[in-house]
Amino acid sequence: MMDQHEDPKFEQWLKDAAKSYHSPVPTPSEEMWKRIETARRSKRVIELRPWMRWVVAAAAVLILGIGIGRWSANQASAPAATSTAPAGTQVADEIDSLANVAYQVAATQYLSRTEAFLTSFRADANRSANTARLARQARELLATTQLMLDSPAADNPRLRSLLEDLELVLMQISLLNPVQDGHDRDLITQGMNQTNVLPKLRSAIPAGPVPVRRTEGAL
Amino acid sequence: MDESQLIARVRAGDSAAERALYDAHVDRVYRLAFRLAGDDALAQDFTQETFIRAFDRLGSFRGDAAFSTWLHTITTTVVLNGLRKVKRFRQREADIDDAHEIGVVQRHAEPDLKARLKQAIDDLPEGYRTVFLMHDVEGYTHEEIGVALGVETGTSKAQLSRARAKLRVALSDFAGEWVK
Repeated sequence: MMDQHEDPKFEQWLKDAAKSYHSPVPTPSEEMWKRIETARRSKRVIELRPWMRWVVAAAAVLILGIGIGRWSANQASAPAATSTAPAGTQVADEIDSLANVAYQVAATQYLSRTEAFLTSFRADANRSANTARLARQARELLATTQLMLDSPAADNPRLRSLLEDLELVLMQISLLNPVQDGHDRDLITQGMNQTNVLPKLRSAIPAGPVPVRRTEGAL
Repeated sequence: MDESQLIARVRAGDSAAERALYDAHVDRVYRLAFRLAGDDALAQDFTQETFIRAFDRLGSFRGDAAFSTWLHTITTTVVLNGLRKVKRFRQREADIDDAHEIGVVQRHAEPDLKARLKQAIDDLPEGYRTVFLMHDVEGYTHEEIGVALGVETGTSKAQLSRARAKLRVALSDFAGEWVK
């Protein structure tokens, strides 16, 4: 029995008409394959997974607890400065190590924001989007990029190389001229494609959702 | 060589097999990404991301379902998450722009069928739109859609039915086109 909402004539008409919706262009398979190969060759920059953040938090609490315990014990039993030094040094090292991890978390979140911005920029490259707005966003991200380059996060050579690529692209976007931005945008997009900056950026971001705005002011 | 042998060779690190597997599926992945995204750059990004993830996670593919089904699960996840991210980003910027454009009256020309259909499909809820495009436009079965989206086959059918009903209402001005 035919459902009361069924109408084969309408459904056929709709199917035919909808073929024109987002009608695909020929698949650029060679171009995509090159980018896939490049992205796969560049190993993940940051291995910090979402579950590792919980481990980091737990470790931070543990180290803090150990540090306080040792400090209290030393205060109570041996007030001499020399006896507390080794424990203090160890805690300081562990805290330094955690700080590096914190920078990596911040780096991951920053990379996600930059990816969203550049993906949107490339997708809007042929549209008359607001140049002044793009330039402003690029300047904000550029400032964070430069802070990242000066932070311990950039000790990782792969991340440093990626940050330098991003710095260049963001600088170009931040200098976009509203009068002749069409040509400039094409050049920036071409540059992004040639350097494979987006695939490299994506391969640097660990899987899983990362809030886009959370890192503002983290560095 | 059948697909399971090809997959075994990819797992063993054979780059030629990787390319062969890519060639066998890239068209359908790209088509689906393009239909959903409506933009070549985004569709390319999503296709690349799909294959990068698929190759990275091939070890977890157990072969319970067809490889294409597994791959389309990754495709829909990548595309829908990616589109949400871009939409959030654009919305935030649009909100900022709107704050500066209060009082500006926009005039729209009377749209033709193609434009109205595009608008009607764009306006569908994400789930309805995805099922409609996969089934009615790209020819996926409800079983394939159910696996790809992680829903029951019945849910896919119900969403398609609701999508068509909404489109029928949105396009009622053109009723003469399908009753003739």
